[in-house]
Amino acid sequence: MRVKFWGVRGSIPVPGRATSRYGGNTSCVEVRPKGAAPIIIDAGTGLRRLGKSLMEEAFGDGRGETSILISHTHWDHVQGLPFFSPAYRAGNKIQIYARQRDMHLEAVFSQQNNSPYFPVPLSSLEATMSFHELVEGTKFHIGRAKVSCTRLNHPWIAMAYRIEVDGAVVVYCADTAPFTDILFGREFIVKAPSLDEPLPADVVEELARMRAGVVELARGADLLIYDTQFTKTEYLQRPHWGHSHPDDAIQIARDAGAKQLCLFHHAPMRTDDENDQILAAYRTVAAHGDQPLALVSAYEGLEIPLGDE
Amino acid sequence: MKIRFWGVRGSIPAPGPDTIAYGGNTSCVSIHTASGKLVIVDMGTGLMHLGNHLMAGAFGKGQGRAAILLSHTHWDHIQGLGFFAPVFIPGNHFTVFGPGGSPNVLEEILEGQMDPNFSPLQTLKNFAAIFDVKAATTAFEAEDLRVSAYEHVHGTTTALAFRIEEAGKVFVYASDVGQPVADAPPDPGLVALARGADVLLHDTTYRPSDQATRRNRGFSTYEDAAAMAVAAQARRLVMFHYDQDYSDADVDSLRDACRASLDTLGGQDIGLEAAREGDELEI
Repeated sequence: MRVKFWGVRGSIPVPGRATSRYGGNTSCVEVRPKGAAPIIIDAGTGLRRLGKSLMEEAFGDGRGETSILISHTHWDHVQGLPFFSPAYRAGNKIQIYARQRDMHLEAVFSQQNNSPYFPVPLSSLEATMSFHELVEGTKFHIGRAKVSCTRLNHPWIAMAYRIEVDGAVVVYCADTAPFTDILFGREFIVKAPSLDEPLPADVVEELARMRAGVVELARGADLLIYDTQFTKTEYLQRPHWGHSHPDDAIQIARDAGAKQLCLFHHAPMRTDDENDQILAAYRTVAAHGDQPLALVSAYEGLEIPLGDE
Repeated sequence: MKIRFWGVRGSIPAPGPDTIAYGGNTSCVSIHTASGKLVIVDMGTGLMHLGNHLMAGAFGKGQGRAAILLSHTHWDHIQGLGFFAPVFIPGNHFTVFGPGGSPNVLEEILEGQMDPNFSPLQTLKNFAAIFDVKAATTAFEAEDLRVSAYEHVHGTTTALAFRIEEAGKVFVYASDVGQPVADAPPDPGLVALARGADVLLHDTTYRPSDQATRRNRGFSTYEDAAAMAVAAQARRLVMFHYDQDYSDADVDSLRDACRASLDTLGGQDIGLEAAREGDELEI
C-alpha cells in the first residue's frame, strides 16, 4: 500500500509563506492498497485537492468508490467534505465511517451543508453516500483491508484507526491528548487544571485502559501517524485542549513496537522552520535506546510506501 | 479610514505555494477609523490573524472594542470566529451586525458553528468577551460610524453589502454578489449603495468562462465588478474573494483583464487593485 498526506495541519487551515513547505491544509490522509480503491482518513481541507486528483481516475466517470474513516467531526476533520468533487458526480460511491454520536451520522454531516452555512445540501449531492456508525473495538473489512479502531482521549471523543493490508500496517491516532492528566469527555474545560494534583483512581484506571487500547491498536505498526500538535512545553500550558506532543508519541510508538512514527496535526501557527527543528531534535531522541524508531514529520505530498506496493 | 485585508479568498481557504502572494485565507477586512475605532467585516480564516495582531494592543488587556459586520453566514465568512483570540479575553466587547432579520436567528446560526459535534468550544457562551449579536438594518451606527446595508442576491440566497462613512469618506464592501441569470445589469440597489464610493470592494470570484459553468453559485466576474464600479461612479475598485483554485498568476491576469473592462466601460479614471493579504489602503 501507499500512504499519502493531503492535509497535515490541526485546528484551522493556515495558508501563507511560513507554512508553505509542510502545508496549511487540515487533516486528510489517503491510504491506497495495491490496485484497490482509496481509503481516506479524515476530511479536512486537504480532501479538496485529493478529490480533484481522484477525478482524474474512475471518479471522473462516476465509477469511483472510496471509504472515508472520520476520526471525529471537529471542523478541521470534516470541512473539506463539501468541496470533495467526487461527491458531485452521479455513480460514485462514498462510504463514511465514524464513531456513533447522539444523532445519526447522516444528520451530523447534513448540518455542515445546510443553507445558512453552505449552498448545496447533502441530500442534493449526486454520489451515493452511506454512513456507518462505529463503536470502539469494531472490526470490519474494506475490500482486502482489515480495519479496527479504538477510542482516543479528546473532547467529545475521537477514534484511532488501524488498517492492515498488503502485508503492512498503518495506524492513525489523531486527535488525542496524553493519557496521564485529563480524561476528556463532554465537559468543556475552561482553563488548564493543575497537573500536580493526583487524579481519582477511576480516572487513572480509565486512562490506562484507553492507553492500552491505543498501544494494542498500534502493535507492530509499520507507520504510526500521531497527533503532535504541541511541543511538551506547549502541552503543559494547554493540557485541556486535547492534543499531544512528540515525547508522548515516541513513548507510545516504543511501547507498541512501531517501526516508524509520523508527527502529524501540526499547530496552525507552527512555521516550517520550527517543524524542521522539532523533527531534527526528536530524530536524535528516537534514535536512542535499544529499539530504533524511524521518525518523519508529515507534509503535504509526502508519500510512504508500506509492505507490498 | 485605514482598510486592511486579512483574508481575500472565496469559498474555502487555499493554502499552497501558488497562493502566497495574494493569500489563501477566507474573507476578513479591518477598518481602523480616523477616530481610532475598529470595524471588522466578515469572519473568514483571516480573522484569526487579525486577532493575533490585535492581541498586542488593547484587546490583549481586555480593553478592546469593535463592531463586526457580517455579510452572510456561509462558512468562508464565519469560520475564523472560534480562532479569534480577543473573544477569549474578558473585558473585550464585540457587537456583531449581520443578516437573518432578528438577533435570535443570527445568534442561533453562529451558535450552530460551535455545536459540540464540530467545535471544542461547544457554545458561544464560552467566549469570555462580551459578544453582542444584532440584526443589521438598512441604516445603523457601528462604533459611531454611519453604516448602510443592502441585501443583494447571492445565488439562491442573499448577502449584505455595507457602506461605511466617516467624515465624508466612503468605503463599500460588496462580497459574494451574483445573480443567477446571465447578462443581468448591475443591481440598482447595490449601485445606489455604492454611489460615489472612495473605495468599492467588490466580489471578483470568477473569470467569465468559469462563471458561465457555475452561474448558480452566485458570484461575480471582474466584468461584473467593473460594470458596478462604473455605474456607481466609484473612485477605486478593489477586487476580492478569488476562487480557491486561482493561483497568484491567475489573479494577476484577472487584474489586467479587469483594468481592460473598466477602460472599455468608460471607467478609465477608476483606480484598481487586487486585494492582497496584509495590504493596507488609506482613504
